[in-house]
Amino acid sequence: MTEPGSARAQGGERPTLAFRIALAQRAGGIVSPFFTALLAFFMGGLVVLFVTGKNPLSTYEAIFKGTGLNWLLPWETCAHPCSAALSLQQTLIQFTALALTGVAVAFAFRCGLFNIGGQGQYIVGTVAAVQMGIWFQGLPSALHILLAAGAAALAGALWGGIAGVLKATVGAHEVISTIMLNWIALWVASYLVTFGGPMQDPAAGTEAVSRPISEGAQLPLLWGSRLLQGLHVGLFVALAALLVYWLVLNRTTLGYEVRAVGFNPEAAAYGGIDVAKSYFLAMAISGAFAGLAGAMDILGWRPRLDLTFVQGYSQIAFIGIAVALLGRNTAVGIFFAGLLFAALRTGSSTRNLDPEVFRPELANNLTEIIQGLIILLVGAETLVLYLLKSGRRLRRRGET
Amino acid sequence: MASDALVLELRGITKRFPGVVANDGIDFDVRRGEVHALLGENGAGKTTLMNVVYGLYRPDAGEVRVGGKPVVFRSPRDAIAHGIGMVHQHFMLIPVMTVAENIVLAKEPTQAGVVLDYEAARKRVRELASAFGFVVDPDARVRDITVGQQQRVEILKALYRRADVLILDEPTSVLTPQEASELFQILRGLTEQGMSVVFISHKLNEVLAVADRITVLRRGRKVATISRQGATEESLARMMVGREVLLRVEKPPASPGEPLLEVHDLRVLDDRRLEKVRGVSFHVRAGEIVGIAGVDGNGQSELVEALAGLRRPVAGRVVVAGRDMTGRSAREVLDVGVGHVPEDRLRRGLVLDFTLAENLILHDYDKEPCSRLGWLFPDRILRWAAELLRRFDVRGGGPRTLASALSGGNQQKVVLARELGREPRILLAAQPTRGLDVGAIEFVHRQLVEARVQAKAVLLVSLELEEILSLADRILVMYEGRIVGEYGPEVQEEELGIAMTGGRPVVEAA
Amino acid sequence: MTVDAGTARRRLAGRRLFTTRLLAIAGIVLGAVAFWIALPPLTTRTVAAPIAIGIVAVACGIWAASRKERRLGWGAAASGVLGIVFGVLATRAAADHLEAVVTWSSLVSLALVYATPLTFAAIGGMFSERSGVVNIGLEGMMLMGAFFGAWGADVTGSWMGGLLLGILSGGLLALVHAFFSIHLRADQIVSGTAVIFLAYGITGYLYNDIYGDAGTPGDLAAVPDIDLSWLGSLPPHDLGGFLESSIGQVSLLTILALALVVLSSAFMFKTSLGLRIRACGEHPRAADTAGINVYGARYASVVMSGILASLGGVYLSIGFNHSFTEKMTSGRGFIALAALIFGNWRPSGALAAALLFGFSTALAPELENVESWAVYGTLFQSLPYLLTLIAVAGVIGRTVPPAAVGRPYVKQ
Repeated sequence: MTEPGSARAQGGERPTLAFRIALAQRAGGIVSPFFTALLAFFMGGLVVLFVTGKNPLSTYEAIFKGTGLNWLLPWETCAHPCSAALSLQQTLIQFTALALTGVAVAFAFRCGLFNIGGQGQYIVGTVAAVQMGIWFQGLPSALHILLAAGAAALAGALWGGIAGVLKATVGAHEVISTIMLNWIALWVASYLVTFGGPMQDPAAGTEAVSRPISEGAQLPLLWGSRLLQGLHVGLFVALAALLVYWLVLNRTTLGYEVRAVGFNPEAAAYGGIDVAKSYFLAMAISGAFAGLAGAMDILGWRPRLDLTFVQGYSQIAFIGIAVALLGRNTAVGIFFAGLLFAALRTGSSTRNLDPEVFRPELANNLTEIIQGLIILLVGAETLVLYLLKSGRRLRRRGET
Repeated sequence: MASDALVLELRGITKRFPGVVANDGIDFDVRRGEVHALLGENGAGKTTLMNVVYGLYRPDAGEVRVGGKPVVFRSPRDAIAHGIGMVHQHFMLIPVMTVAENIVLAKEPTQAGVVLDYEAARKRVRELASAFGFVVDPDARVRDITVGQQQRVEILKALYRRADVLILDEPTSVLTPQEASELFQILRGLTEQGMSVVFISHKLNEVLAVADRITVLRRGRKVATISRQGATEESLARMMVGREVLLRVEKPPASPGEPLLEVHDLRVLDDRRLEKVRGVSFHVRAGEIVGIAGVDGNGQSELVEALAGLRRPVAGRVVVAGRDMTGRSAREVLDVGVGHVPEDRLRRGLVLDFTLAENLILHDYDKEPCSRLGWLFPDRILRWAAELLRRFDVRGGGPRTLASALSGGNQQKVVLARELGREPRILLAAQPTRGLDVGAIEFVHRQLVEARVQAKAVLLVSLELEEILSLADRILVMYEGRIVGEYGPEVQEEELGIAMTGGRPVVEAA
Repeated sequence: MTVDAGTARRRLAGRRLFTTRLLAIAGIVLGAVAFWIALPPLTTRTVAAPIAIGIVAVACGIWAASRKERRLGWGAAASGVLGIVFGVLATRAAADHLEAVVTWSSLVSLALVYATPLTFAAIGGMFSERSGVVNIGLEGMMLMGAFFGAWGADVTGSWMGGLLLGILSGGLLALVHAFFSIHLRADQIVSGTAVIFLAYGITGYLYNDIYGDAGTPGDLAAVPDIDLSWLGSLPPHDLGGFLESSIGQVSLLTILALALVVLSSAFMFKTSLGLRIRACGEHPRAADTAGINVYGARYASVVMSGILASLGGVYLSIGFNHSFTEKMTSGRGFIALAALIFGNWRPSGALAAALLFGFSTALAPELENVESWAVYGTLFQSLPYLLTLIAVAGVIGRTVPPAAVGRPYVKQ
């Protein structure tokens, strides 16, 4: 007899705080993500305070300075070459990859799939981009870039598609299969660039690094110089990806199918939607975004693939999970969450963080903790609501 | 039998859910050795009240007394300790475990305090069953036994916990009329041994058949408690609904045309690869309603799913308007003009997190005018949705409202609007009124009759015999995956009931 | 009457299915044998033998597949084909190469080593999932156990201290997962992922803060080995020698893992508490209405899973590697989950799967020893992950997870 619908409907007549916030969330409100991030930073600050005894505020301030965002503040003056500007370029470069991997995770999410295989898809993307960038020397630059980026997206799509096919045909859980695909991609790519591997640069001796891509395949710069890892046009690709993401989801039949399957696969099947096909497509498209992220990094600022990049830096794709979750899988949300995490990463990097204030190698781990806290808190909206309602007993909600 | 000693009293029970008062100051009591029926429509608050008694809900106000002493139940464990047992409408049994394991769960006989003594459990179940005259196999897995047997396991579960008061929530909804009267026998046996029974139902005839006293609830309030003597179906119906109720649906005489849906020797497997539909043949003509009666789980769900393209049959043919649609996808079936009201609107009929507009285009989102070449046109969709919502009188929201925000009746109206709005030639309606209140039920019935008038072929699958009897022009009875009888609309309920238990294997030509 | 006939029919069908299944399993085994006879010590050099045995395996598989035992049947057929391919390849490889790869005793001992942490984590996962909570966070709990095991051993100077601190940390992290997924009804997979990130951050932070570039001290107290060299005196001499060289020295934790398989199996399927936990994972509302404290059972099970998973981590750091490095679990938690699924949510099945994965992990470095294969060194590292992927893809749908796993339970 308990009709969940009726209870909620009539709740609308006499809205409680929790109900209003729940409504705001459904409408893509910012209250809860904002509090979530704040709460995570607060808890991260407590960690700093208790473990190191340092002042969390000054730590965060140092991290903020490291992000280069202070370049935007009118009262900050800047010498030449402006370190804040350089940092900001770094932040935006990281934003490019994070927005793309965030979109990747979010797209699968909207289909009800948890793609934690962004790392593997990113890696195969970098491999494809490097290879394409090495081949076809002398091709017109635009064409060459398109070819390399396209190949990377395709490779990512293929890698994600494997998990999609397994999910659609035998029902293998995408979390396990994508994790396994991550490790497979990692070791295969490692093999490719290590000494004796087919992609290793013989000119580099025994060093595990590929040949560099040809000049023509590199993305044009927007800001700064190539030598100092300036900001490349990949930023626009990321922004375009956010727009494409929104359009595909909300304005195309494909997006409609993906969302229907994500909300209720049985109803989708009843409506005539091919659920298996949607799973495959969602994973493939998700993988394509992650692969594209890899391409942007290779074509934009890291023209050769080496072992530390494959085994270490590629973890940036993992952070896409936190970006998508904090951004509530909306384009605007991913934009801001991507910016936040990009800032956190550059701000706490060895290069930018003032070691007097906080040891950079620890700051990196601190970001991981904050990331974990954010995912945890985003996953449990009830907690945020609970804290907002400050002690009043939480009524049951959203139950059958 | 019934004495005046009160074993259970409820005083002024109030239970609120966000925005709804499910129970509003209800008084209710149970005497030793009586069957006390709790009568009311869907949503009247019967189950909520009993969940309060069973410790699943805590009342916002009021008091529960057992044997004259006030008690507070924090969980079912407390209720069980005070001798209260409950048989839920959806059985609380674990399908993969055995009957004995289900019965002793949480009060297991053990050796050395930890090791489960399965032998003792089996023995105890046997003793208990024979003491009350039940036949159950303690080692059978619950998923392998019939629904009627599962219900007995539920009752044994309560008896094993030494219940004095047994609450049964809509116990006959899954039973045939014969099984129901067997259940009534069992209940009488229990009351003779001094137990008390609370019998929750919305079926008037059953309440009159089994109860000593009857309490009627309407919209969370108690209307009255009366003795069975002198109560009639009409008077109870008036109390339950608050107005005169039309017990029979008005419909013009049938004028069936050519057959639009033909099914030949269809065989369908369920998810566990068991054959649930075993060679079914029938047809539905334009302008007639064919009802399929039967106890739940006799293959009706699988049959409808196969007809709707959601389940691939292993043998046989489905012909829709002259075209062989056997094994075609749901999309193809929908596109040749089949509408389908699924049996579970929350699980399948609606995407609750979609807006009403998005739900209304669930079948046609990829066609003009909703979209072209994969591009959606939100304005056209919203206009189309607004028009449909108006035509089908959906209240409580507009095209942009989330489906989850509507009441059950309005949700079902949205489903009907979608299915009928695309002007199908054939309508498959599976339990279209389940869980609805009287007003919504009348609406659904009118729509089905209207579809018939418009020369659509309507296949109605329902567990409610009354619904089938009042709507169908021809009635097919399904038992264990076969059609075991075909009847005209004048058939007696008893006759259908016998067929529903497989009692008469002879197929009677209509 | 009809009921009896039905039961009889079902029983008969059951028996027929059973023999089919047996044949399919025999096919799988034969496929493996086809490969095995081409390896040392047998080292068959004729191509015919693996082909003949492989064909029998394929035949078994197809026969079974045609009788509704599809997955196992096709598995047997695939195993036969693989057996033929690898068998033929092996007969054509130089015998001394094969010797380099296949030293059975060292493979067995390494397989046990690699299987130990997986077994702990997989059985931990069983507790959690049987109670209805998905535990993706096993990876993080293992990592916590690994770090705090090492740190505890360092600080207290005793492996016991390390072990205790290790399982305490894993249990605490599991408690976080439990709180979020049970009380706050967060998506269990999201919560599990979050817990992994937390573990990455916490262990990385503390590791860098405390040990930094120098790494954990070289003289960490280690979990002792148990001396089983007396096995060497068992007749016949070959067997004894083999046993001594493969399992003559076994870590205490490996023994514990094997004991745990038996103990947890008995607990889950023979005790009343086990019955209650399983009830919570199958149908929490039924368990609740029967009077079981569902939240309590789930909390206890999830914390138990954290304790067991962290034992696996303790083994990694102070049982086997004698050091801690960042993210040293490298996906083992996920492989353990796969082992759990593969093993049909049973301890014995999980152990079998863990041994299989352990074996493939042990094989990878051995393959590198073959001179002409050394180039592919890192490529072989992906072998266990590839195997897990295939296993998960092949077995799912045949194994049945607890019905309510992954769904938060809302008390009414």
